[in-house]
Amino acid sequence: MAKVVVAAAGIVTEADLSTAKMGSRFGRMDLLSQLALLAVERLGINFEKMDRSRIGVCLAVSAGSLPTDIEYWKGRKEIGGPSPTLFAYTLPSSAIGEIAIRYRLTGPNLCFVGTDATLLPEARDLIERKEVDGCVCVACDVITTAASELIRVQPKAQVRAVFLVRGTNGVALEEKHRDMESVCALVCAGESARNCAR
Amino acid sequence: MDHTFDMHVSTNELKTKIIESLRLQEVTPEQIEDDAPLFGTGLGLDSIDALELVVMLEKHYGIVIKDIEEGRPALRSVRTLAEFIEAKQTAK
Amino acid sequence: MPDLDQRDFPDVVIAGCGATSAVGVGVEALRTAMRTGASGLRKCERFNDGRFQSSIVGAVFQNGDGDDDPAYELANQALREACEQGRDVLQSITPDRIGFVLATTKANIEALERLSDGRDCSEMARRHLQGDLLAADLAAAHGAKGPVQCVSNACASGLIAIQQGSRLIQRGAADAALVAGVDHLSAFVMAGFSALKALDPAGCRPFDRDRAGLSPGEAGATIILARKSLIQESTNPQIQVLGWGNSNDANHITGPSRDGSGLAAAIRSALSLAKADPQELDYINAHGTGTPFNDAMESAALRSVFGDSCPPVSGSKGMLGHTLGAAGVVETILCVLAMQERCLPGTPGLKLAAEGAPSSLVREARRANRMNRVLKVNTGFGGINGAIVLGYG
Repeated sequence: MAKVVVAAAGIVTEADLSTAKMGSRFGRMDLLSQLALLAVERLGINFEKMDRSRIGVCLAVSAGSLPTDIEYWKGRKEIGGPSPTLFAYTLPSSAIGEIAIRYRLTGPNLCFVGTDATLLPEARDLIERKEVDGCVCVACDVITTAASELIRVQPKAQVRAVFLVRGTNGVALEEKHRDMESVCALVCAGESARNCAR
Repeated sequence: MDHTFDMHVSTNELKTKIIESLRLQEVTPEQIEDDAPLFGTGLGLDSIDALELVVMLEKHYGIVIKDIEEGRPALRSVRTLAEFIEAKQTAK
Repeated sequence: MPDLDQRDFPDVVIAGCGATSAVGVGVEALRTAMRTGASGLRKCERFNDGRFQSSIVGAVFQNGDGDDDPAYELANQALREACEQGRDVLQSITPDRIGFVLATTKANIEALERLSDGRDCSEMARRHLQGDLLAADLAAAHGAKGPVQCVSNACASGLIAIQQGSRLIQRGAADAALVAGVDHLSAFVMAGFSALKALDPAGCRPFDRDRAGLSPGEAGATIILARKSLIQESTNPQIQVLGWGNSNDANHITGPSRDGSGLAAAIRSALSLAKADPQELDYINAHGTGTPFNDAMESAALRSVFGDSCPPVSGSKGMLGHTLGAAGVVETILCVLAMQERCLPGTPGLKLAAEGAPSSLVREARRANRMNRVLKVNTGFGGINGAIVLGYG
C-alpha cells in the first residue's frame, strides 16, 4: 500500500491577516474563507506542476459557518435587506470553493462540521483509493465573540493546514495522528520555522 | 423613517461606497476611473457584486431596483451609476 | 507498490429508506407522488409578507408548527422509518459497527432565528445549531455507535454523505451506515436566495424555457447502507451504490462553470468506478433547480458526457422543492423507488423544455423497460459537483 506523507504543514491565526497580501477580492470573503485561504497560501505548494484534477481539498470546521451566519442574519433588518455576498459564505464549504478557485483545484472536496480527527482518515482514504494524488487538508476553529455566546465555546480563530501526498518525501502520516497541531509540530521538528506552527 | 439625499452624486463618494460595500482591498477611489467598466474588465466585478451594489443603492441612496436587468445599464461604470442615481432622485 | 484493487472492496447495498418531505410523511407518499406527478410546492403564509421574491416552497411544517428543533424532528422521523425497514440488517451487527453520516447545510438554523429575536429556544434546539452535535445526538438515538460524521458540502451534501457512508463500509470502518440528510425551511434561507434574486415567483420549473429560479423545500431523508454480505439471500434483489464522483468547478463562488465540465468530470468518475458505460444508464435524476444558470450548465454537462444519446432524465425539485442538504438523499430515494417500480419519474413544473435541454427529458412519469443502472447528480455553491451510480448488482 502506498505511503501517505505530509509534504507541508502550517498554522495561521487572525493576526496573520494583517500582513496578508492576497489581492483585491480577499476582503469580500468571510473570516473562515480568509483564514483557510491564507493557511493554504502559506504552505507554499506549487500546484502548477501537478494534475490539479487529482488534488483534493478537505475541510473540517468546528463551528460550521456560524460566525458568518450571525453576521448575515444581523443584516435582515437593514434597508435593502441582508447581504447576498454574506449569504454565499453561510456555507462552510464556500471556503473550499475559494481555495479551489484560487489554485484551480478541480478534484474531490469533503467538508465536515467537526474536527481534525474526522478529516485526516478521510483524506488518507482518498489518497489510498487513488481518487487523488494529493490532498489539501484544512482544519478550522473560527469562533467569533458573537458565535461563542451562542454555542458557549471559547472564541478562537486558528486554522491548521497540511498537504498530504502519496509518496516517500516527507513525514509519514500514521493512524495514530489524529490532530493537525501535532502533525504540524512533527513536520516542523526538523525544518525551518517558515511554514510552521506558532 | 425619512431620508433626504443630495441631488448631485459625487463620484468620489460613490467610489468610496463601492469600495466599502464590496470590501475591496488594496483599491483607492483615485484608482477607479469614472468611465472604466465595473464588470468584466476594469474592476472585474461579478454577478454577486452586482447584487451587492443593488443593496447598497437601496441602503445609501434609497433606490430600489426590482429587476437586475433594469440595473444593468446603470452599473456599467461609476459615471453611468452616478447619472442613474441622480435621475432616480430627481424623479422622486 | 501494489495498486488498490477496486474488486477487493465489499459491495454496498441499500437496506432501508425513510423520508418526510413536502409530499408527505413516509417513503410511500414519495412513491405515490412519483407515480401521479403531484407537486408539494405551495404558497406558504409565513413567508408571504412581501419580504421575499416568492413564498412558494416545499413545506412539511406549514406554520413552523411551533417546533424549535425542526432539523432534529425531520431527520428523526426519516431515521425511524429507515431503521424499521432495515431492522434485520441492523440487528445482525453490533452498534459499534454502525456508522452515521449526516448531510445538512444549515442544521437547526431555526435556533439562530429564535435567539436573535429573543424568542423561546430550548437547550437542545440551540445545541443542534451545530451539525456535528446534531449528528451525534441522532446517531445515539438510533443505535449507531460507529464513526459519526457531519457533511456540509452545500447542495451536494446528500450525495457526498452517501459516498462517505459507502467509504466507511468499504474500508472496514463500519458494516452498515445510517446516511441522513436534513434541512428545514427558514426565513434565513428564503432571505438569502431572495437577496441573490434566485427564487422563481411562479414556483420552480426545471429545464423550462421560462424558468426563473428555485423554490426552497425541507425534508428529512435516510438511506441505510450495508455490506452486501449482511443481506439474506432470500430477500428481493438489492440496489447497490456502484460508484461515485466528486469534483469542483474552480470557477465562481455561486455560479457553476458555463460548460458543465466539472459536473461532467464527476459523472465520468462515477461511471468509471461503477464500471458502467454511458449507454448502460437507464435513467438520470438531475439536480435541476430551475435557475437559468444551473439548468443550462447541467444540460451542457449531460451533452458533454452523453452527446445526442442522453438517457431519459428528469428533475424532482418541482415536486419537493430544493431541499439543500437533504436533496441528495431524498432524490436518491426517489431513484430507488423508480428502480423498484420500473417507473421513469416526470419533471413537475416543466411545461416547455428550454433550447439546449436534453431531448430525453421526461415530463410526465411513464413506464420504463429497464431500470438497472441509474445516475443521480447534484451540484452546489462553491463549485461542488457530486454524482452516484446505483444499480442492481
